[in-house]
Amino acid sequence: MTQQYPKIEFFTTREKLLAGREQTVDVLIRITPPDLDLENTKRTPLNLSIVLDRSGSMAGDKMVRAREAAMYCVDQMLPTDRLSVVVFDDRIDTLFPSEPVANKKSMKDLISRIDARGSTALHEAWVRGGLTISDLLLERGINRVLLITDGQANVGITSTDEIVTQSLALFQRGISTSTIGIGADFNEDLLLPMAQSGGGNAWHVVEPQDMQRIFQVELDGLVAQFAHTVSLSLIPSDGIRIADVLNDFELTETGRYRLPNLQAGSSLDIVVQLKMGAQALGSTVRLLDLRMGFTPQDQKAADVVKSAFSVEFVDSNDDLAVNPEVVKAVQFLMNARARREAMDRIDQGDFAAARVLIGQSIAATQVACAPFASMDEVIEECAALEEVAQSLDDRNQDRMSRKKLAYGAYSRRTGKIS
Amino acid sequence: MKHPVERERGKKYVGLPEFARISEEVLSELGIEQKRGTVSLVPDERTIRYYLAEGLIQPADEKQGTASVFSYKHLLQLVAVKKLQAEHLPIRKIRELVTGKDEQQLESLLGVAASGRKGTDDKEAKRYLESLLAPSMSFGGIQSAPQETAPLSSAAEAPRRDSSVSWQRVEIEPGLELHIRSDYKPPVAAARTKGLTERIRTAISRYWRERQ
Repeated sequence: MTQQYPKIEFFTTREKLLAGREQTVDVLIRITPPDLDLENTKRTPLNLSIVLDRSGSMAGDKMVRAREAAMYCVDQMLPTDRLSVVVFDDRIDTLFPSEPVANKKSMKDLISRIDARGSTALHEAWVRGGLTISDLLLERGINRVLLITDGQANVGITSTDEIVTQSLALFQRGISTSTIGIGADFNEDLLLPMAQSGGGNAWHVVEPQDMQRIFQVELDGLVAQFAHTVSLSLIPSDGIRIADVLNDFELTETGRYRLPNLQAGSSLDIVVQLKMGAQALGSTVRLLDLRMGFTPQDQKAADVVKSAFSVEFVDSNDDLAVNPEVVKAVQFLMNARARREAMDRIDQGDFAAARVLIGQSIAATQVACAPFASMDEVIEECAALEEVAQSLDDRNQDRMSRKKLAYGAYSRRTGKIS
Repeated sequence: MKHPVERERGKKYVGLPEFARISEEVLSELGIEQKRGTVSLVPDERTIRYYLAEGLIQPADEKQGTASVFSYKHLLQLVAVKKLQAEHLPIRKIRELVTGKDEQQLESLLGVAASGRKGTDDKEAKRYLESLLAPSMSFGGIQSAPQETAPLSSAAEAPRRDSSVSWQRVEIEPGLELHIRSDYKPPVAAARTKGLTERIRTAISRYWRERQ
C-alpha cells in the first residue's frame, strides 16, 4: 500500500494581504490526516492494559461505572487484540495477564468482581500494567496503558517530574500511556503531562456516567490513529519572523514543535503569527516553509511532508470575505491561554482574577465570533467557558474549576475533542 | 524504509576524500538541502576539516600511514551536523546536540533508531519497566536507619564480600547505569536526596572532564 500523507493547508483571515505596510499576520495551518479507509485497511491491532484504581475513594458509583466502562472495552475489542487488566490500591494485582480478547465472558466476569478499598500506589500499578503488555509488543499496532484513577499517588514513587519523565521514556520504547482522571480529587498536574509525554490522551471524567463515552472516544482514537511522534519545523523566509505560535507546543530536543498524535478524521489547527515588513504591491511572497516529521501507525520508520505558504499582496482587501475558521482558531487558542493563566491565578489563591480572565474570554469570543455566533463550535466554546465561570463563582467547586480549565486548555491546544 | 545511513554501519573510511565521498552519497539520498547560500551542501574536504577544528566531528581514532581512518560514528556526526544545519539551527546548538553522543543517540537524532532499535531489541520497554520496579521494591525493606553512604567512587574499592548481598544494575538512560547493592536504602529526607543527586552530577562531570 502506498503511504498516504496528511493534507496541509494555510489560511489567513482574508485571502490576500495589504501591501506597503509592516504587519503581524495570523496564519492558520490546518493539518488533516487522510481518512481511514475502512474497506481496505485492516484495523490497527491493539495491545492494551487497563490499569484501574480500586482505592477506597472509588467506592460507589465511580467503581460501578469504571467496571462498566472496562467491560464495554472488552466488548469492543477483536479476538486479534490483546488486553490485560491491573487493579491497584496500596496493593497491585494483575486481574488477568495480557491475552487475546477471545473469551470475553470470563474477562468480564473478573472485571465485575473488582471492589474498592485501600490507598493509591499509582506509579507501580502503571509500571506493572506496562509490564503485562511488554512481552509481545506490536511493532505496527498500538501498545498502550490506560490508567484510570480518582486519586493522588500516595504510595511508592509520587514525584510528578519523575513519573512524567518515565512516561516519555516508556513511550520512546514503544508503549504509550493515556490517563483518565475521575471527579475532583485526582492530580491533573500529574495525569495531564503523563499522557502528553506518554504519547497518549488525557481525559477528565466529571460525572461517573461519562466514563463509557470517554472509553468509546479513546478506543475510536486508538483505532483511528494515523501517526505518532509528530514534529513540526516552521522556517520563515528572510525578513519574516515568527512572533508567536498560539498553541504553545513543547519543543523537541532538536528545537522543533512537538505535535500530538494525528487522528484520522480530525484535523489539527495551528496558528502562527508572522511579523513582516512592507511588501510590494502585486507581489506574491513565499512567507513560510513547513516540514512535518511523523511516524505512520503502520510503518516503522519516520516520514516527512513538506509544504510552503505564499500569499499575494494587494492595495485593498476589504472586499474579501473574512474566513471564520481563522478567526475561530485564533480566538479559541487565546481562550486556552486565558484558561491556563486563570489556573495560575487559582494557584496563587486569586479566584477573583481567574473569574475576571474567563469573563473577558467569554466577551472577547462573543465579539470576535459575532458574525458566525450560530456555529456549533462557537456555541460549545462559550458554553464551556460559562460553565467554568459558574463553577468559579462557587467556592466549593475550586478543584473542579481548575480541572475544567486544565483539560479545556489541553483540548484546544492539541485539537482533542472530549 | 531504511535510512540510507544504516547500510554504512560498522564501515571505515580511509582518508578524507573517501569519507567526503560517502558522506555526500548519503546526504544526497537523504535530500538534505540548503535554502540559503551560506552553508555548502556538499561536505567537501575543506568543510570537514572545519568541522574537525570546531569539534563538531571527533578527530579520527586511527591512522593508516598518513591517512586518517574515519568510522561510522564520524559519518553519523557529519550527517547530523548537516541535517541540523538544514533546519537552520545555530552552530552553538548543533554542537550541543551532536558532541558527546554515542552511535545510538546520533542514530536516534537522525530518526534511524525508530526502525533500527525496535527491530533489534523489542524487549527494551520491558527491561526499562523492570528497572523502574527494582528501586521502588526496596522501599518496602525492613532495615533500620539508613547507612551513611560512601562516596560513589569508593563504592567499588571497598566491596563487601558478604554472600547475602547482591548488586543490581539499573539503567538511567542509554549509556548510564546505576549499580545498587541489595541492602542499600535510598534516603528518605529531601535534603539527602538532593545531596545524592548532586554527588552523582559531580561524578559524571568529573568522569567527562577526565575523558576529554
